[in-house]
Amino acid sequence: MTKKRTGVFVCHCGNNIAATVDVKKVAEAMSNEENVVASEDYVYMCSDPGQNAVLQSIKDNKLDSVVISCCSPNLHEKTFRDNAKRAGLNSFTCEIANIREQCAWVHKDKAVATEKAIKISRSAVRRAGRDQALEPIAVPVTRKVLVIGGGIAGIQAALDIANAGLKVILVEKLATIGGHMLQLSETFPTLDCSQCILSPKMVDVSRHENIELMTYSEVQEVNGSVGNFQVKIKQKPSYVDPELCKICDDCAAVCPVVVPNEHDLGLTARRAIHIPFAQAIPASYTLDENACLGLNPVRCGKCKDACDVGAINYDMLPKTVTEEVGAIVVATGYDLYAQEHMNELGGGQIDDVLDGLQFERLCSASGATKGHVLRPSDRTVPKDVVFIQCVGSRDPANHCAYCSKICCMYTAKHASLYKHHVPDGRAYVFYIDIRSGGKGYEEFVQRIMEEDEAIYLRGRVSKLYRKDGKVRVLGTDTLTGQNVEIDADMVVLALAMEPSKGTADIAKTLKIGRDKDGFLAEAHPKLKPVESVTAGIFLAGCAQGPKDIPETVSQASAAAAKVIGLLSQPTLSHAPTVAKVRNSHCTGCEMCVTACPYNAISLENGKALVNEVLCEGCGSCSATCVRSAIEVKNTTGLQIQEMIEACLA
Amino acid sequence: MSEQQAEVTTDYEPRIVAFLCKWCSSAGSDLAGVSRIQYPSNATPITVPCTGSISPNYILSALKKGADGVLVSGCHIGDCHYIEGNFLARRKIHLVKELLGFVGIEQDRFRMSWVSAAEGAKYSQVIKDFVEDLRPLGPQTKVKAGRS
Amino acid sequence: MINLQDMRDTARNMLAKNEVRGVIGYRRSTNGMLAEPVVITKPEQADELIWDPTCFHNLSLYLVEDRKFLAHTRAKADLPIAIIAKGCDARSTVVLMQENYFERKDVYIIGVSCEGTGVLDERKLVKKGIRATNSAFDGDDFVFTTEQGEQRIPAREVMADRCLECRECFPKEHNIVLGEDKTGRQLDAPFTALKRFEELDPAARWEFWDHQFERCIRCFACRSVCPMCYCDECIVDSTSFPVTGQTTADEKANRVKWIERSATRAENMTYHMTRVLHLAGRCIDCNECERVCPVNIPLRLLNNKMEREAREQFGYEPGASIGGPSLTASFLDTDPGKFIR
Repeated sequence: MTKKRTGVFVCHCGNNIAATVDVKKVAEAMSNEENVVASEDYVYMCSDPGQNAVLQSIKDNKLDSVVISCCSPNLHEKTFRDNAKRAGLNSFTCEIANIREQCAWVHKDKAVATEKAIKISRSAVRRAGRDQALEPIAVPVTRKVLVIGGGIAGIQAALDIANAGLKVILVEKLATIGGHMLQLSETFPTLDCSQCILSPKMVDVSRHENIELMTYSEVQEVNGSVGNFQVKIKQKPSYVDPELCKICDDCAAVCPVVVPNEHDLGLTARRAIHIPFAQAIPASYTLDENACLGLNPVRCGKCKDACDVGAINYDMLPKTVTEEVGAIVVATGYDLYAQEHMNELGGGQIDDVLDGLQFERLCSASGATKGHVLRPSDRTVPKDVVFIQCVGSRDPANHCAYCSKICCMYTAKHASLYKHHVPDGRAYVFYIDIRSGGKGYEEFVQRIMEEDEAIYLRGRVSKLYRKDGKVRVLGTDTLTGQNVEIDADMVVLALAMEPSKGTADIAKTLKIGRDKDGFLAEAHPKLKPVESVTAGIFLAGCAQGPKDIPETVSQASAAAAKVIGLLSQPTLSHAPTVAKVRNSHCTGCEMCVTACPYNAISLENGKALVNEVLCEGCGSCSATCVRSAIEVKNTTGLQIQEMIEACLA
Repeated sequence: MSEQQAEVTTDYEPRIVAFLCKWCSSAGSDLAGVSRIQYPSNATPITVPCTGSISPNYILSALKKGADGVLVSGCHIGDCHYIEGNFLARRKIHLVKELLGFVGIEQDRFRMSWVSAAEGAKYSQVIKDFVEDLRPLGPQTKVKAGRS
Repeated sequence: MINLQDMRDTARNMLAKNEVRGVIGYRRSTNGMLAEPVVITKPEQADELIWDPTCFHNLSLYLVEDRKFLAHTRAKADLPIAIIAKGCDARSTVVLMQENYFERKDVYIIGVSCEGTGVLDERKLVKKGIRATNSAFDGDDFVFTTEQGEQRIPAREVMADRCLECRECFPKEHNIVLGEDKTGRQLDAPFTALKRFEELDPAARWEFWDHQFERCIRCFACRSVCPMCYCDECIVDSTSFPVTGQTTADEKANRVKWIERSATRAENMTYHMTRVLHLAGRCIDCNECERVCPVNIPLRLLNNKMEREAREQFGYEPGASIGGPSLTASFLDTDPGKFIR
């Protein structure tokens, strides 16, 4: 082995590392390591002077490899590798020793933390000592993007990307795009009509030459990697040809099956053949095969008879298409935490106890009551309405630990809408705190309290039950210390937001992580909020965490910008840390071929051959090979062996 | 033997080599750091791409070089960044674990865990538990190279 | 009952008709009773072939040797080579083909069924104090020729443990087969010896293996006799690293030494554990390693342990299929994971 010239640079990270790790001692210990020709410490290695010091040292000491003992490689590996490159070093000969997250931040005793930091640094030095200079592999990109979810996030991302000239496939699970935003009546704090601002965007999507819309569809399988994903999308049959459908409603008029209407959250009913709502995109009816009597003219067939244009086809089959895309945006949205979980609040069994989205439908001009606030049980105008915030949120012991972020605002909006509809009614709001951070938000809440005279009660509701045609609300006002009893005509629960049903499945399909609450995990909470941990897959909207419409739109546009940036390059560079076959040892037993999750290895003339573009460098092959005939570059057995030694020395 | 006994009586700190997959467990240990969750310093992490890349040689080598315990930690089943690396690891590591137990090496010297990137607290707990379980066993001398 | 004449005729005919290059079989050794492996290449040698309870060698080893010889001499074989294969030998031949060591068309498998019995464990016979000059199968008995005359012993008293516990004594993979399929004639339950050993507590097991590993002299007889140990360079043996035209300087520099060659307990132990792990899913329990061990290390226990884990936890049978995936290169969703925290 030619002798390496390694430089070690130990970062204080201000006091973050230096407070618990004796950085000078680490630098000194490293200077005694074989191959190390320079070892320094500096207060902020990632700062400009810090990086310059590394640069200078590489030149002065003719270094061929560097180790930076600092924070997690997730943060600054790229920074330091780029810097090494600037000094003429190969970036793959720069290693990070994580002595902050994995050491300084988790230990108090300076002596043991220093000792561990030395081990971690030494281990990185040994690894760097055998690092090969590698050049990134150029991979062609597919300039097409998959957007999953047709809510406001997916719509915004799709439009932004399509406007930049890239092809987009927008996949929506339901029969229409629009998502939950379509169900809202007005939006806070400006009270503009939700449909009025969303519908034009939906139309844009349907008319955009770069957007292919696939509703009633789900992503089934995703293979490949950034730049070149292969996705399999399954489209359920709608049994209606959208090209022919004239949305005349003749079919629904004769359909004998009546089921609750999901769009109105069960407050109204629809037929088996239906259009989710009048302005649905695509503008076509859909036959719900679960509700239909049997897709069979012998059983019923009334809708088919009624359709003059012959748009209905009972023999329509599910369609599966496979598409190549370069990037994916996941915008699968949220669902409300189910009322059934809230046993103390009736568990969804009490009449006239609604969730927030149901109340939106009551207020909406296109909703169940055509915009008149009537209580569902007897269609009378409710005079006392109780709004309860934080239902299921901020309750780590029983429900969701997190704050759902939008409930304070929409409850204030609900109270306001109610008061505008029923000026002589009383709106009570139970709250824990009011969280109204956002442009114009605080002013909005104040206005509802003062001008609309909503009665805000600080405290929780302990029980709801039906009494004498009303809902008895038992709660406490913690400001006065009084127990409160209200006989309400209607109760509206601001239920927590949770990741939409199917989020877990889509995360599995895409191989991206979820956080402890089940939302899709971003790559870094601050610096990479729209990236997933998998390159080429981006996040937008409530699938990543509770957020309101402006924030969702911002995130969707951010994700779109990332996608556009990614796909604006003619080729992508694929990490060169791929598997390499040692031909002298390979016997062609094919174990690596079987083990490889990417089908990246084939047998050529009796020896394994790695397709470097497909190889992701996971190393499953190397652990499976009993002949040490295949290894991942820069994570070789020899390197691991020396790292083990360094950890135990 | 006398040397071993002398070691036991002094303050014995188990030395652990922790093989962490880059995507889940290493990120999980980073989260423990970000959350400032304190745990014993006995385990030195070695980050590998995937648990699927961990050859039984790594484990045996660590024991031979004197590790008192070896930890292998990766993504939960179904969450593997490389799709199925942890499935392959589960099978391979099962064999290693069974073999170590079979020849009479204390089962507690080797451990495998699934720690996701969101489970900083779990990572710290895994280390805490491991250290606690290793303490009563004393230094590992069975596989360690060199005669005592 | 296997008709020896059938075996000889088969070999003779195939060689005479030039259908095979040679036949790997057994002949009488110069050392009295025992059989020894032989490769016959001429029809007239067919009468040298024998079949008796001392035919315990796993002849698939010589398929490996044959291929290595061909590779080294850069010769091309246009004819297959035939092998006399017991159930176990056939399974190891299958593993070799599963690993593409040679192709199915390169071998002609003359299967022999271990009908009522298996093969002899020489040590058991010695323990009984019998010194024989010849042995033969006869129903459920072995018949030995001794100075005192003929001695008949129930086979199960002197049969190898692996044969007592054998689950598949019939060579499923074959071109032709001699003898009847008596699978299921199993005398002891599989893994009986293993279970007995596992009843010991960990400390006792350690005491046992500590002693065994201490005794290993690293003669590598176990490795030499194993058909699965066909690697050109063994993991313990960086010194025999084959430097060919293809070997780059990097490769030479980056050799890993996971195990030292010195015969210390720790190194011996790592050697045997690594070997067992490398054989997991590939070892078909021919137990040649244990038979040839000069210091009698009970290697079968180790290999058996892996075999049982594979069978019971992963539903994997080594040597069951040429096209199937290897044990450690595959997985099932149902693989056990309770041991993981």
